[in-house]
Amino acid sequence: MSENSRAALWRLLLIFAALAIFEASVRANWIDPFFAASPVQAVRELASEIAHGGALRLFLITLYEIGCALLISTVVGLIVGFVLWRYRLIGAGYEMILAALFSSPVILAYPVFLVAFGRSAAAVIALSSVLGLIPIIMNTKTAFQQVNPILLQVGASMNLSRSQMFRYILLPAVAPTIFAGFRLGLTYILKSVLGLEYVIQVGGVGMWLSDAAFRFEVTEVYAGLTGTVLLSILFLYLINRAELLVRR
Amino acid sequence: MRSGRTSPDPTASPLAIQALTVVLLACAWETIGRTGLLFPELFPPLFEIVHSLGIYLTTGVMLPHLRASLYEVLGGLVVGLATGIPLGIVLGSRSSFIEVTEPIILYLAVIPKIVIFPIFILFLGIGTESKLAVGAIASFFPIVLLTMAGMREVRPVYVDVARTLGARRLQIAKKVYLPAIAAPVFTGLRIGLGAAVTGALLAETKIAKAGLGFMIVEYYSQFRLADMYALLLLIFILAALANWLMKALFAMLLPLPRTSQDPGLFF
Repeated sequence: MSENSRAALWRLLLIFAALAIFEASVRANWIDPFFAASPVQAVRELASEIAHGGALRLFLITLYEIGCALLISTVVGLIVGFVLWRYRLIGAGYEMILAALFSSPVILAYPVFLVAFGRSAAAVIALSSVLGLIPIIMNTKTAFQQVNPILLQVGASMNLSRSQMFRYILLPAVAPTIFAGFRLGLTYILKSVLGLEYVIQVGGVGMWLSDAAFRFEVTEVYAGLTGTVLLSILFLYLINRAELLVRR
Repeated sequence: MRSGRTSPDPTASPLAIQALTVVLLACAWETIGRTGLLFPELFPPLFEIVHSLGIYLTTGVMLPHLRASLYEVLGGLVVGLATGIPLGIVLGSRSSFIEVTEPIILYLAVIPKIVIFPIFILFLGIGTESKLAVGAIASFFPIVLLTMAGMREVRPVYVDVARTLGARRLQIAKKVYLPAIAAPVFTGLRIGLGAAVTGALLAETKIAKAGLGFMIVEYYSQFRLADMYALLLLIFILAALANWLMKALFAMLLPLPRTSQDPGLFF
């Protein structure tokens, strides 16, 4: 057995052990079932909600919001990042502003978006786009800045046209760094969409969680949380796989 | 294809661009606000915002809320440190531990911590403790991951050399491990503080009786937008100040703090 497989096996064992301990604690009433649902109950509730309830629709709403925010962030982020690289002075000026925004708790400004767009999915998409935009802009700019000049000189010596230079030299050189920004942006968007859905009680899975907590349906709260965790894990897994493909 | 289409004006500098941006934004804000071109209710006059900010800074009107938020944020950070550093040291002490646990922690770090808030409410109630718990769990992940990263930097040869020289366990911890993990732990502390601020204040906006996040939502529900903007500005200023102070302090204590850890995971 390879070292990686052994680590993966240990990882699975660790996760199952933690879940088993939690399951046993709830069943044995060491944790008051009034406050906690066992993992089996949570998964069963989630499966039942997906099969018979509206959970699938809620997941689709969340995915739609994530997709819209990602599309806006990517298109705007790539264009702005490219412009900030092309015009170095403007880029230098805005780099600090972007860095300051990046480390600020921008998500707390969500009421501003509620005023602008109302308590709707549009508000979630708009703020999540802003949050996802910043790392994409910063990484796009950095990616172009870090292109090895020798590659450009080689292209010039081969008499490549501007479009060929872009297609065959710049694009492959910047792709990994831009993808790292894309990955970061998607992480921000995912967290923002799920968090905002919960806080402002609109949209998909996050709203379900908030609604269940409001009705004090403990099993449903844990089912919603399980759904949120699974969605987050699925996204991170897909991003990691895609990043491996890009870096190859 | 080259970058560098810079402005021909030799006096132009990034600082001038930043100043110009602020002035242009202020002008645009006032114009839109006064003419009602776009979202008329969204742009209260700037002087009203500055006036509210002045009140917050010169009177004690925000002090009880600032105190509540500080308690939650700093309390959360202390819990995050008290759990994250020892766990990071233990898990980072062996490469096999890192290999097994790091992916699990990385995956858990991506989950928005605010969604665990209803569980904390169930166990801890709607008082400050549940918000402190959100702050704690938000700050825990960057701290534990960066402590593990620091431990990983310690090459076994350093420990072997220290042992050959007759160093005891405590001396190895002090002379080999501590210098290696100090910079990543400090970075974790700084990122953890940011995460705790976001987590605790966002939780306050959901259910709370006091705190800066609670006041944001109060002003929003009363449609006192100038007060809300001023409060947001105050929070951003305080967060930036805390971040800058920590950076300055760490730069003084450790000349070259650096980390390769992905900060986006620690939202």
